[in-house]
Amino acid sequence: MSPSSPSSRLSNVGAWGRGAFVALHLFAVTYMAMPSAGSGLNRSAWSDPTVQNEFRSWTTRLNTLGWGITQDELEDHLWGIASGYEGVRSAILDPFEPYFVYCGTWQSWRMFVAPHRYPGRLEIEVDHGEGWAPLYVARSDEHTWHRSQLDHDRARAAIFRYSWKHYRVHRAAFTDWVARQVMAEDPDARRVRVSWMRYRTPSPEEVLAGKKPEEKRDLKNTRDLTRMRAAAP
Amino acid sequence: MIQRFVDACSATEDATAQALFRVAIGACVLFTLLDVVQAGLVDVLWVDAAYGGMRPLTSHPWLIHYLGGANPTVIHGLLWVGLATGVALVLGIGGRITPLVSLFVVGSLVDVNGHAGGSYDELLQNALWLLVLSGGHKTLSVEAKWRTGSWWPEVPILAFPRWLALWQLCLMYGATGLQKVSTYWVPGGESSALYYIMQQPTWQRSDMTWVASFYPLTQLATFVTWWWEVLAFFWILTVWYAATPDRPGRLRAWSNRLQLRWVYAGIGLAMHLAIFATMEVGPFSPLSLSFYLLLAHPHEWRRWLTRRTAPAAAANT
Repeated sequence: MSPSSPSSRLSNVGAWGRGAFVALHLFAVTYMAMPSAGSGLNRSAWSDPTVQNEFRSWTTRLNTLGWGITQDELEDHLWGIASGYEGVRSAILDPFEPYFVYCGTWQSWRMFVAPHRYPGRLEIEVDHGEGWAPLYVARSDEHTWHRSQLDHDRARAAIFRYSWKHYRVHRAAFTDWVARQVMAEDPDARRVRVSWMRYRTPSPEEVLAGKKPEEKRDLKNTRDLTRMRAAAP
Repeated sequence: MIQRFVDACSATEDATAQALFRVAIGACVLFTLLDVVQAGLVDVLWVDAAYGGMRPLTSHPWLIHYLGGANPTVIHGLLWVGLATGVALVLGIGGRITPLVSLFVVGSLVDVNGHAGGSYDELLQNALWLLVLSGGHKTLSVEAKWRTGSWWPEVPILAFPRWLALWQLCLMYGATGLQKVSTYWVPGGESSALYYIMQQPTWQRSDMTWVASFYPLTQLATFVTWWWEVLAFFWILTVWYAATPDRPGRLRAWSNRLQLRWVYAGIGLAMHLAIFATMEVGPFSPLSLSFYLLLAHPHEWRRWLTRRTAPAAAANT
């Protein structure tokens, strides 16, 4: 095969095409993977105690380093930078959207970027007319209703999201699902309540001193099963 | 330089490493799907609330949209096809079509409910796309046996999918490291991120308050993890150096002498074992470790596997 034969030219075109594809792939996935605020660019999410705690820590740290900035100023500053950055990022990545969608090349690696210092522990309770009794408590070996489902990592991912205030609509849908299950399984149940116990995770010193964290019931959603039964077709 | 890049993209290597990656990812497809089946979550998480699912699933992946929505018939049908692609990937049947179908089908299932998944779903889909580009089906496969009469023929295939997969691994670790900007992670603070992450009820397998007694160890682990992730971009360089030992350069010689490729891998393996032991994060660890199979050059795999199989074969004769 001579260097200028048709098959040699074709193979050359193929090699250059392959090279161009690899270069574009590398650019698209690498740029897509670079840090991004994503769904974290949400003022409501920024008011969460965990996020506020981060802002407070960073403000203190920056002050120590000699940058006199208040927490409010830091938040506004970061909001401005993140909004501008996300706009540019989105404009650059837009042409690659079909490649991400159809070839499964999305890159979102925000994994354990910060510990959740004020987590919520899911609790599901039922009322038979004698007050609330726990059905399911996350990570409990005692209250284990639908544990194989609710303890699964995919369910945990959803439940983790619903512990954030701005997931109100989805939290309500989750409560509806819980209510439907309880209604089908327990004809005597009158009400069901889904809530998250919010607390500050204890420091090592607090744990070793035997100090228990203070808990507060948060994001309560209640369903009246008697009414639901009456409304059911 | 551009010509060298183009030439590198057309370089070939034996198919063994990419074939092992194919088998591992096929197993991860099966794990991903069967784990959801076993927990009884298919109709809860992947089916629309109108059919009994946990929430209304309004924004469907394109395939589910074209098939008519997240109803039980569509979802169960896709589940069976997805399981079949997992088996076919392990066995090496169907060439590049199998990972492509698996990408569309399994990708649609894990993405149908955007609340019930994690980064492992993206890692799996990236792996499947890289298998579409790869010729990993050409050895250690039913297809190889059928075509050549041997289960493990030495077949040259394009090397670039292996390098893209290695970059994917480094990119995942590096990008997550760059985003760990919490004061609990960044060096110079109290390095308490891992301690507090282990206290979160969301991901822990069981109560982890006992870790408080080993707090300094968790601080060390936080420090090592952060640096290891942030520096992961250089990991691929150590693999490249190991693949080209005859070229000059002090950094190359130093990296190869210290076996930096395996030092990185050792820390990664320890991290994944710790995650697997303490946290419930689905197929993340097995998926990530599947990429580690590509750290060894195909000729290294062939040498190791031949050494292991030769005495057994000799004993059988």
